[in-house]
Amino acid sequence: MREQMTAAIQSSPADYTEIRLEDRQSSRVVYRGHELETASVVLDRGGIVRCLVHGGGWGVATFNNLDDLPRRVRQAYEGARSLQVEPVELASIPVVEDTIHVPLQRDFRGVSLTEKKALAEEYNNVMLQADDRIVDTQTVYADSFSRVYLATSEGSYLSEDRPMCTVYFQALARQDGDVQQSHESVSQVAGFEIALGRHALAEKVARQAVEMLSAPTVQGGRYTVVCNRRLAGVFAHEAFGHLSEADFVYSDPRAQEMMVLGRRFGEKILTIADDGSLPGRRGSHKYDDEGTPTGRTDLIREGVLVGRLHSRETAAKMGEQPTGNARATGYRYPPIVRMTNTFIESGETPLEEMLAAIDLGIYACDAYGGQTALENFSFSAGYAHMIRGGQIAEMVRDVVLSGNLFATLANIDAVGDDIEWPETGGTCGKGQGGLPVAMGSPHIRIQDVLIAGK
Amino acid sequence: MWEQFLQNNAQAEVFEIESEATRIVFEANELKSFEVEETAGVALRVIVDGRLGFAASSNLEASDQLVTNVLESARHGDVLDMRFPAPQPGPEVQVYDDELASLPIDRLVEIGREVIAIMREADADASVRIDLERRVRQIRLRNSVGVDVQEEKSPLSLGIVVQRIRGDDVVILFDYFGTTVWDEGYQAFARSIAEKLRLAQRPAALSPGRMPVLFSPAGALVLGLPLMMGLDGKNVYQGVSPMADRVGEQLFDEQLTLLDDPTLEGRPGSSAYDDEGLPRQRRALIADGVLKGFIYDLKTAVQSNAEPTGNGERGLFNPPRPGFSNLVIAGGTTPLAEIIAGIDEGLLVESPLGLGQGNVISGAFSNNLSLAFKIEQGEIVGRVKDVGIAGNVYQDLRHIAALSQESELVYGGLSLPHVLLSELNVVTKN
Repeated sequence: MREQMTAAIQSSPADYTEIRLEDRQSSRVVYRGHELETASVVLDRGGIVRCLVHGGGWGVATFNNLDDLPRRVRQAYEGARSLQVEPVELASIPVVEDTIHVPLQRDFRGVSLTEKKALAEEYNNVMLQADDRIVDTQTVYADSFSRVYLATSEGSYLSEDRPMCTVYFQALARQDGDVQQSHESVSQVAGFEIALGRHALAEKVARQAVEMLSAPTVQGGRYTVVCNRRLAGVFAHEAFGHLSEADFVYSDPRAQEMMVLGRRFGEKILTIADDGSLPGRRGSHKYDDEGTPTGRTDLIREGVLVGRLHSRETAAKMGEQPTGNARATGYRYPPIVRMTNTFIESGETPLEEMLAAIDLGIYACDAYGGQTALENFSFSAGYAHMIRGGQIAEMVRDVVLSGNLFATLANIDAVGDDIEWPETGGTCGKGQGGLPVAMGSPHIRIQDVLIAGK
Repeated sequence: MWEQFLQNNAQAEVFEIESEATRIVFEANELKSFEVEETAGVALRVIVDGRLGFAASSNLEASDQLVTNVLESARHGDVLDMRFPAPQPGPEVQVYDDELASLPIDRLVEIGREVIAIMREADADASVRIDLERRVRQIRLRNSVGVDVQEEKSPLSLGIVVQRIRGDDVVILFDYFGTTVWDEGYQAFARSIAEKLRLAQRPAALSPGRMPVLFSPAGALVLGLPLMMGLDGKNVYQGVSPMADRVGEQLFDEQLTLLDDPTLEGRPGSSAYDDEGLPRQRRALIADGVLKGFIYDLKTAVQSNAEPTGNGERGLFNPPRPGFSNLVIAGGTTPLAEIIAGIDEGLLVESPLGLGQGNVISGAFSNNLSLAFKIEQGEIVGRVKDVGIAGNVYQDLRHIAALSQESELVYGGLSLPHVLLSELNVVTKN
């Protein structure tokens, strides 16, 4: 592969040329209710060429047919040349040559579809048999093994294996026309072993969906909220993380004013960082998709904005260092600034102490999803409990947290001492769709959160 | 290619897709990149001993592996009384336009600049991202009982994201315009976004409580999404749709009529045949508030003992499932201006955050709003921030106060009017 890539790059008249190729095999078993929806294997192969010329912009070509790479380089070069724009600079990075293999305990490529199907069926039956009120389930077993090759005209060459193994459970419970659902997943850079022995998790999903049938809808209003670790991690990613992506500020002076380094966002107890170099997490890679080594970037340190996430282009434009956060959702896309593993650092408050100070509040757990429009955010908790007199009380449902980011960060008045990195499959949807990320956090307490409800 | 495969298997299907796209991207009001894309791939299905198998590949050199994979998949499939359909005549639908397919790059750049100018005129601080793409997509679907459907489509898509920051005050707007036949519709589309941007400059305060809530066509997706899920034959079959077993019942206000219409000229969602080779058809799923039926693909129809409806939809790497072509909620009788003029104090919902989160299938919605306006004394007076709405479509759509005469195309394929509900719970920070 390397020879063809190098030869194609050498044929390029552009100032910068980059080729990334990907070969992926993935298998998937899906049960829905009592039926198997699919048990299948798909093969995906394709590539992308990016070129940059002085006095031009980015030219990009993506393709499935890898036969004629020099032609793809020409297409990208012609594209770059056709644009009359402000010159794009790239921050310099070391030239690297590396091959990254990820050792798998039990390589899922060697496991038969029969075994994968049997496993999914077992889990599915656990949910179906948990309670009469479970009317629908979805059980997914999925694995994917990619090999990604990256070559640049600066001389870097990388070959990286990207395995991922996932099980996903969803259960729907129904009673008197009311439908409630619950879901859980495990998704890690790991082999088949990660999918095994998850019966208790499947059981928990079914039980929770049933339990939610009898939970009342939350009364809307403003509450003191304790977020469990998983929800707090999603909050760090969604509500704050996206603001720290430099592609949103680098060419908008107003955004730069808003996100000026040194600005205080929260109390001293709050530190948020992103680290793509943590071993084995979903967002971990040794290098990003431009070949920049990954590492830890503090975003908020002791309440103060101290950093942001960069690609080579955004770093050059802002006169800062590239952080290894240029990532692409597969060969169809050029890399853009993305998070990797984002987390709130552990603080000092035990959960009991956090709860004790709350007379009436909400303990919001897990997340159905979250979305942000920069200063505004919205998250649906997977489930929640009222907090009454310092104790976790009855379950409530349909809890959606929302608010203004600046006010909310400032309202975080306690950070737990219990950071956790859930095994859940975190996925970020920015721009190009699903990219694996990880989110970690301890419990956090937030004052004055808006909860929409009846 | 693949003739042999179709001959060797009594029940087999080959879905081939090829497309070429040219895309320009503007970032922060400036031209940023020029991209060309070529896509090619094949998906196979077979039914062997009543068991359905699926496999797909974009690696065109791996055709033997692909056949091995689909046969292996079929060995694992559930037994199902399904057969691929014989050829049937479909409607005439125009989805290809030479002029659009060959739109010069310079013209694309010009359109991009024109759109940016419209936004900057509304607000000089607007930072605009534009993804403008023209594509030619060819699909060929064959099966072993004689279907051979070929379709060429020329979708043009224009995605707009506008960000406007002043101090800590942020407005973000996004929408997407699609057409397969060249027209100047993008201008009206851009102007409608610019108008929202202009309106968002003035802040307004709103007290919480129950009040009239008017959903704009983009905002009405809050109401449309649970309905789409409930009408999906798959959710009906699984028994999780609140509409299951209720065909023929008056579930909603008489003013509500909802259609799936694949015959609309020039819409990206239109086509003569679905992705399983069945003719598509225009169907009312809810007529005058009465539930008429659901959408099915072949498999879900077989499972449900229902007639397939020509709603099989697929990407390359996924087997077909039920999908809408163009969702249309029919407009009402009242002009929009009259609806707004009749509201003393209420909320106009433009853009929800977190759409699709939460327990959507149950009909419940609970959304913070990234863009909403206060209506006072019959006029839109300014933007309300930190505001949320909650309700349930199966209760709240029993009584619709008004639907506007005018409809708009939003998010590419949806045609929706303004929808006024006389009372909904609104939570605010005040």
